Amino acid sequence: MKLKITLLSSLLFSLVLSAEEDIYKKSMEDILSMESEIKVNLGSRDGARNYLHSNTPIDVITYKQIDNSGLTSLTDVLRYFVAGFNAPETSVADGTDHVRAFTLRGMSPDQVLVLVNGKRVHTSALLHVNGTIGRGSSHVDLDTIALRSIERIEIMRDGASAQYGSDAISGVINIILKGMGHKSSTAVQYGKRSSGDGEKIYADAFVSTPLKYDGFVNLTMEAVGVDSTQRVGPDNRDNAPSIQTRVGQAKSKNYKMVVNADILNKNSLNIYSNAMLNYRDSEASAFSREDTNLSKPLYSNGFLPIINANILDYTFVVGAKGKLSGGTTWDLSNSYGANYFHYYVKDSMNYTLGAASPTSFDNGSLNFIQNTTNLDFRKKTSSLNFAGGLEFRYENYSIQAGDEESYTSNGSTTTVGGSQGFAGFTPENEVDESRTSVALYIDSNIELSEKLKLEILARYEEYSDFGESTNAKLALSYRAIPELLLRVSGSTGFRAPSLAQANYSQSSSFVDDNNTLVSQGTFTVEHGLAKELGATDLKSERSKNFSMGGVYQPSKQLSFMLDIFYIEVNDRIMLTNELDVSDAMRTKYNVNVQQARYFTNAASTQTSGVDFKIDYRHILSNNSKLDFNLWFNYTDNTINYSDASTDNELEQVRVEEGQPSNSLRFLTNYELSRVNIALNLSRFGEYSQMRENKVYKFDAAYTADLDISYKITRATKVAIGGTNIFDEIPNKWDGLSGDYYGENGIKPYSRYSPFGYSGAYYYLRASMEF
Amino acid sequence: MFKLLQYLLILILLHISLEAYESEDKLKTVIVGKVAKYISWRKRSEDSFVITVLNNKYGTLFDEVYFDKSIKSKPVVIRYIDNIANLGDTDILYIAELEELSLDEVLDISKNKNILTVSDMRGFAQKGGTLQLYFVGQKLKLKMNIDVLQDEGFHIERTLLKIVEVVEEEE
Repeated sequence: MKLKITLLSSLLFSLVLSAEEDIYKKSMEDILSMESEIKVNLGSRDGARNYLHSNTPIDVITYKQIDNSGLTSLTDVLRYFVAGFNAPETSVADGTDHVRAFTLRGMSPDQVLVLVNGKRVHTSALLHVNGTIGRGSSHVDLDTIALRSIERIEIMRDGASAQYGSDAISGVINIILKGMGHKSSTAVQYGKRSSGDGEKIYADAFVSTPLKYDGFVNLTMEAVGVDSTQRVGPDNRDNAPSIQTRVGQAKSKNYKMVVNADILNKNSLNIYSNAMLNYRDSEASAFSREDTNLSKPLYSNGFLPIINANILDYTFVVGAKGKLSGGTTWDLSNSYGANYFHYYVKDSMNYTLGAASPTSFDNGSLNFIQNTTNLDFRKKTSSLNFAGGLEFRYENYSIQAGDEESYTSNGSTTTVGGSQGFAGFTPENEVDESRTSVALYIDSNIELSEKLKLEILARYEEYSDFGESTNAKLALSYRAIPELLLRVSGSTGFRAPSLAQANYSQSSSFVDDNNTLVSQGTFTVEHGLAKELGATDLKSERSKNFSMGGVYQPSKQLSFMLDIFYIEVNDRIMLTNELDVSDAMRTKYNVNVQQARYFTNAASTQTSGVDFKIDYRHILSNNSKLDFNLWFNYTDNTINYSDASTDNELEQVRVEEGQPSNSLRFLTNYELSRVNIALNLSRFGEYSQMRENKVYKFDAAYTADLDISYKITRATKVAIGGTNIFDEIPNKWDGLSGDYYGENGIKPYSRYSPFGYSGAYYYLRASMEF
Repeated sequence: MFKLLQYLLILILLHISLEAYESEDKLKTVIVGKVAKYISWRKRSEDSFVITVLNNKYGTLFDEVYFDKSIKSKPVVIRYIDNIANLGDTDILYIAELEELSLDEVLDISKNKNILTVSDMRGFAQKGGTLQLYFVGQKLKLKMNIDVLQDEGFHIERTLLKIVEVVEEEE
């Protein structure tokens, strides 16, 4: 007991001491080596502020944390650092294998807005249409952004449509690129999975060139080559081909470049620009299959169709900002971004072409372009900060057909046409649709008293295709005592139907729960077949957000953050069930599919939960630093269908139980002059997936990531580490006996697994500053 | 075993240093006095060391940091002004914000008065200020304009020059 009292009192004593410390007594060198508070730009147009003082919950990941992680993709950084962020790794899921879907608080990927330096980033052209987490959504491809270009990642856990417009329903991620003063650096990393596969080679270079008046040009280049992993189960199909399906991470080469520049003239006119370029060549397989052309087979032992995605993504932002004579600041910018997703299929065949079938196909492409122009104003007075602005956005979505061999049925009505694995887009699928939107917004921060602050935001937006939307947000913060900030916010929001949801169409074949090959088509709501099946025009999703919580900071070393949230989304846009297409319909609309689906405003969802965080920094007398960050998230999602065509338990299980309802991240970092040790523990809660009309539960799991680095010289560092170092593997389907999906099937693991199923990854890294 | 761990934890806690995440504003106000110790003024006020803050945006931070403090063995006096015309005799002019006048106009008024001008405005040193404060990541950095410092007749200790980034004025 005495010991406990001593322990507690020593802790409290140290905390009190720290609060009363006079840093003026420190040497200049010590002061210059101290770390300042973490400031964020997200959440207010009012300028940067301490993230712990924000009136909405905001979290930050710094470049130091990223550098000490050995992670090589932004999606993985968020997955391992943010409780409530989910990004499963899929395989045999067509395009989804190449662009990882991610969610915040278990909501849809397209309900997260992503910004770079505060500017909206365009989404990927890919629309997830398979049975994965994120089904029916297009979202920003986070892995287009070079990690080494990032100074910090700001994550707002609150609705912000009233501030940023469409999509900001479950949260906003703002990526701040490195600015002036960062040292140029380069790094290489090599690693592989514990089972010997999944080799990854990574290299980056960051070069910073200072310009006059603290301007700069920063160039980041990054290359990552990843080999596939193989976690396939036994293939017990009748006449199973000898070639195995590839179940595991996709094989890919990813090249990224980021330029971030800031030019100031003597009169403080600031010209800024950033450009991001990404090219990805990614390969993943479909299920292996037999060559049905028995008389003259192309593949005597069966074949494994490889879906090859060539993805080109780029963004170019240019803007200028300055100050008018009355003290009003202005900011005019334009952001142009595009994503081209080109499908190829190789090592495949078109059954309907027989022995004459090619083995490689150009299957067509999905393309998305977005141009956003913003003009912002900001004026500060002693008790009121006012901001306002205008936004004009142009979007274009197009689908280009593939080679005829990639989609043709060659007149057959009994054999599934098109390239096996993934059928090409047909000329009927081709589309080239554009829309524009105009928005007007205001943002007022009012200091009602020294302790009480109120933020009022409103935004009016009009889309050329679906109409208008007006949203508002109120956020109130109250500093009850110097150590305690209480906050509450309420807002409305929306998400415009994406152009992809409104215009995507494609046909493909898949294996259903009865292990039967089925041909299926996705149709636009404008298509006659969809209309006959009940399709109506898409409306925007509407949301209501409420959050309440606070930050208790008893010392500068220690903070507690607790926030509860409730989000209601109405008219959520989802794919319908696979609806049967009659022979008469097939003839009437000249389509060769057995099932059809389309997008519809299907349901309302309710998301509620809590986030709890503890951040603690411990400095030892030898000047070493020990950081602890504990983050727990609990989220409950429910769905209520309003459209019978979508009402199915499979989708309900995916939305309500497909992702962990609880997750925990415990990040620790120990830094002592030349040595840095980062140990991150993650808990992924249990999740479920439905298969063959039965819900299968998968256990919660813990993973540990470790990175140990040593500075050989002031500029050179080596590191050894690993993610999921104890080789945690999710449990298999318990009792499911399917050939394709099953405990002893080709895919023994659920595609919903929040930490994948490729196991431990170990690496060596060397880096140098210059 | 458990008791041993508890003792170890106590030992660790008792070795807590007093350093933590400080606010940017506090670091900026503190560093001004620290830098001053490495600089010799040609003309110095007789009985106090004066820091003048133009358009203060730091609340009472300067008063708190320099309460009962001395620089160059003289008590520190903090003055706040909203108009550069009221500059008066001062050792340091901290330009927190610009309102009516441009930076050039403010620097012109403080020119040739042996005043150490300090600010966190971007490009401040290259635009003719003497000491610029800025942050990279979460670390405070310093830039000094060596040309202006020499023109103003300051003597800078070599120790300081090793720490700061030295820039020249851009024409």
